[in-house]
Amino acid sequence: MKETENGSPLSFDGLPIGFEFPPISDQLSKSVVSKYIEAVEERDDFVSVGVVPPLAIGAFAMTALSQKFTVPPGSIHASQEFEFHRVVPIGTTVTCHGKIEHKLQRGRLNLITLGITVLDQDGNQVLTGKATVAAPG
Amino acid sequence: MVKLTEKPKPSDFHEGDKIPSITKQLAQSKINRYAEASGDFNPIHIDEAFAAQTPLEGTIAHGMLILAYASKMMTRTFGQAWLAGGKLSIRFKAPARPQDTITASGQIDTIETKDGIPYINCSLECCNQNGDILITGGAVVKLS
Repeated sequence: MKETENGSPLSFDGLPIGFEFPPISDQLSKSVVSKYIEAVEERDDFVSVGVVPPLAIGAFAMTALSQKFTVPPGSIHASQEFEFHRVVPIGTTVTCHGKIEHKLQRGRLNLITLGITVLDQDGNQVLTGKATVAAPG
Repeated sequence: MVKLTEKPKPSDFHEGDKIPSITKQLAQSKINRYAEASGDFNPIHIDEAFAAQTPLEGTIAHGMLILAYASKMMTRTFGQAWLAGGKLSIRFKAPARPQDTITASGQIDTIETKDGIPYINCSLECCNQNGDILITGGAVVKLS
C-alpha cells in the first residue's frame, strides 16, 4: 500500500502496517552538513574530509518521514535503531524510504515502528534503521 | 581521537574498556539551532510558551540531538569503522532539558569474531547532571 504522491500528511491512526511512504530525496550539500555539524557540535574534520556524519543521514530520514504524517500531541520518540553501511561523501543525493512495520497497543499507548532505508544516488544502501513512536491512545 | 579516515585495529580494544565520554552543555539556543539544521520544528522543542502548557512543563531537546553526542563519542573512538559498520539500538528513557549538562558514555562489553570479522559490542548511555539516564542502549562496531 502506498501513499499518493500528492497526499497530505496522514494521521497516525490512519497508517496501516505495510504502508510505504513515497520516497523522499535530497542532497546532503556542504551547507546542509555544515549546519548540522555546527548544531550538534560535531568535529570539524567531517567537512574537511568531505564526509557526512552518519547521524545527519538519520536526522534527514527522520525529519523527512515525520513530515508525511501527523502525530497526536504528547507523542514521544521511544526508541531508535540505525545501521551505517557506508561512508557518504558530502554532496551525495540520498533517497529515504519508509514503511510502517509494526503497530502495537500497550496500555494507553499506541506504538508504531517505522522501517527506514536510505540509498545513495547509485542505489547503494547507506543507512537502515527503525524508529518507534509512542502516542497516547 | 581516531581520524575519520582511519580504521582502528582490533588489538586497540579490549573487553571492559571505557569509551572516552563526551560532555555537552545544552541550551535553548542549541535546541533551536538543531531545529533549524534538522527541519524538526515540533513546538515541544522550540516554543517555550506552548511547552509550558504540556505535561512536560517546558521545552525538551530533540532526542536525535542527544543521540548525536553519543554518535560523536563513537566516531572519536572508532573512526571510519563507525561511519561504515556502526550499528546502534537505543531507547529514549527521559527528556533532556535546555539547562541540562549531558554526558555520553560507553563501555566495550564483548569482542567477538564471526567469519573472521571482529565485532565490538558496546553499551551506551546518555545521562544528565543528576545522573538520570536519558538514553540507554547498545552499539556494535564491525572492524573489517
